[in-house]
Amino acid sequence: MILSVRDLTVTFRTEEGPVRAIDGVSFDVAEGEILGVVGESGSGKTVSLLAVMGLITDPNAIIGGSIRYRGTELVGLPARALRKLRGAEIAMIFQDPMTALTPVYTIGWQIAEQIRAHQKISARAAMDRAEELLAEVNFPNPREALSRYPHQLSGGMRQRAVIAMALSCNPALLVADEPTTALDVTVQAGILDLVRRLRDRHGSAVVFITHDMGVVSELADRVMVMYAGRIVEKGARSELFGDPLHPYTRALMGSIPPLTGERPRRLPAIPGSPPSLLRLPQGCSFAPRCPVRFEACEARPALPAGARAAACFRVEEFQS
Amino acid sequence: MNKPLLEVRGLSKRFAIGSRFSSEGRRIVHAVDNVSLTVEHGETLGLVGESGCGKSTLGRSIVRLYDLTGGQLLFDGQDIGTRSLKALRPLRPRMQMVFQDPSASLNPRRRVGDLVAEPLRLHSRMSRAEIRTRVAELFKLVGLLPDQIERYPHEFSGGQRQRVGIARAIALNPDLVVLDEPVSALDVSVQAQIVNLLADLQEKLGLTYIFIAHDLSVVRQVSSRIAVMYLGSIVEEGPAEALMAAPAHPYSQALISAVPVVTTDAGGARRQRILLAGDVPSPLAPPSGCRFHPRCPVAQDRCRTDRPELRPHGPGRRVACHFPVTEPG
Repeated sequence: MILSVRDLTVTFRTEEGPVRAIDGVSFDVAEGEILGVVGESGSGKTVSLLAVMGLITDPNAIIGGSIRYRGTELVGLPARALRKLRGAEIAMIFQDPMTALTPVYTIGWQIAEQIRAHQKISARAAMDRAEELLAEVNFPNPREALSRYPHQLSGGMRQRAVIAMALSCNPALLVADEPTTALDVTVQAGILDLVRRLRDRHGSAVVFITHDMGVVSELADRVMVMYAGRIVEKGARSELFGDPLHPYTRALMGSIPPLTGERPRRLPAIPGSPPSLLRLPQGCSFAPRCPVRFEACEARPALPAGARAAACFRVEEFQS
Repeated sequence: MNKPLLEVRGLSKRFAIGSRFSSEGRRIVHAVDNVSLTVEHGETLGLVGESGCGKSTLGRSIVRLYDLTGGQLLFDGQDIGTRSLKALRPLRPRMQMVFQDPSASLNPRRRVGDLVAEPLRLHSRMSRAEIRTRVAELFKLVGLLPDQIERYPHEFSGGQRQRVGIARAIALNPDLVVLDEPVSALDVSVQAQIVNLLADLQEKLGLTYIFIAHDLSVVRQVSSRIAVMYLGSIVEEGPAEALMAAPAHPYSQALISAVPVVTTDAGGARRQRILLAGDVPSPLAPPSGCRFHPRCPVAQDRCRTDRPELRPHGPGRRVACHFPVTEPG
């Protein structure tokens, strides 16, 4: 396992009391695998991965549990050691590429700097390497792009530049947080292709966070579905989408209008909206919106161990 | 045959950007370029395309939030393309708009009941009591609770705020509602509720919609017809299901193929995608001939010089391409 997360909890102290954004999340990422993390806003998908990257700097955040990267415990690791790991071995890309780019330097300069921060090579060699990387992420004219500033590029091209930066040190693990959400579908298709190629060529493991089930279904090997700070279902891609077990997963899949075939007269919508983390229900957090809830749901269902599981008391009834 | 509710003839909208003193000087963006379409009573026309294709500009031009640069706009037979804002006022209640971000379009300092009442105060001669009754009625219609009337926008979730935006838009019994990405900012589980609500309202109130969105599966769900835009022009138009099932324009084909879909089959065969080369060109300097030709997988010499017009292509369909990828039928 390249990454092992056990019982991760992230709690924020707020004026309205403690908010548990992540509640006992455990998962593994194997070398070279693409793990898709799906969830809606507030599901904790981003916070859990920020915690893994050691990027939660809020002094009001309390992080508990264990995060092991290739055997090294990351929780409590000094910032310096963590920083060495990030960039060199773990790379991250975000929804907005401008969070990773500075507007005042050229693309070439920024990629070369990233390379030189982690490798001892000359400025010239770093610039050549930057050009190679831009070519690898399909910049039409990589040499020319080196001297471009971020504002001169389109959103899709900026995201490619950030991916080139992430690739610069051949990361063993890439964490991608909604990297295609702000992009048009035709551009998204290119970026997804790139992520897949990165895994195929360099053997990098990828954790891909998104709200789009279609994206996960096309990209991931394994999927976990999050709701209100917990994992509600996990499994291999084909199993999870072929035979979803948790009522939330089923409802979420049902509420996406089909792209082909018969149009339903009405979409099977999920009533209500995702709960506020300040006022989480006592038991199963999906219970208030769940079509199959019953008395037992007033207690909290645990997520069973194993590769394929759902945190629901009625799972057996749904298993086919 | 009844005359259409809306007829757009050769509509163009250009914006001037930059100042005379900037290095590039003043430049012209052709946001919408010679668009013609008709919208029948009670139907939903879906406008799709990627960012910058001009779909929002077209939507806003149609309700005359912009002055047109050229072309004609006939609303219920009346030419409104060149009317002054004052002369437009009597028609305003009949065409309304719903925006993508309900939090940005609702004044945070006013109660939502007040926001919904505003169009009634401005455009109707209702008394205060009548307005109060009507607001309560509207709240019920869009699925909000009566005790929420006195609340402020920040007390609502995104989906509820969009319901407020919709209540406001339908307050005056409009004929036409232009919906600009009405569900894009919402969570997937909430999107479906709003899509259903819009369908219910259309049925109950006989509304005509222009539904602008980039999400093709949502547009397919709500639309009777779809028009696909690229760089300011319509490249293809037709009945929603037929167009989505067999797009005739290479761009529509690539666009539809790029949508990631959940594959439920255990084998998980990935669909064949058409990857487009490069980016959408800048509308400041659109390519010659067919505007799609630099990225088109089937472009030929003729496409570089000769701009295709939107021509009939099978029943109810039009396509602007010299070499459509399907036979008309």
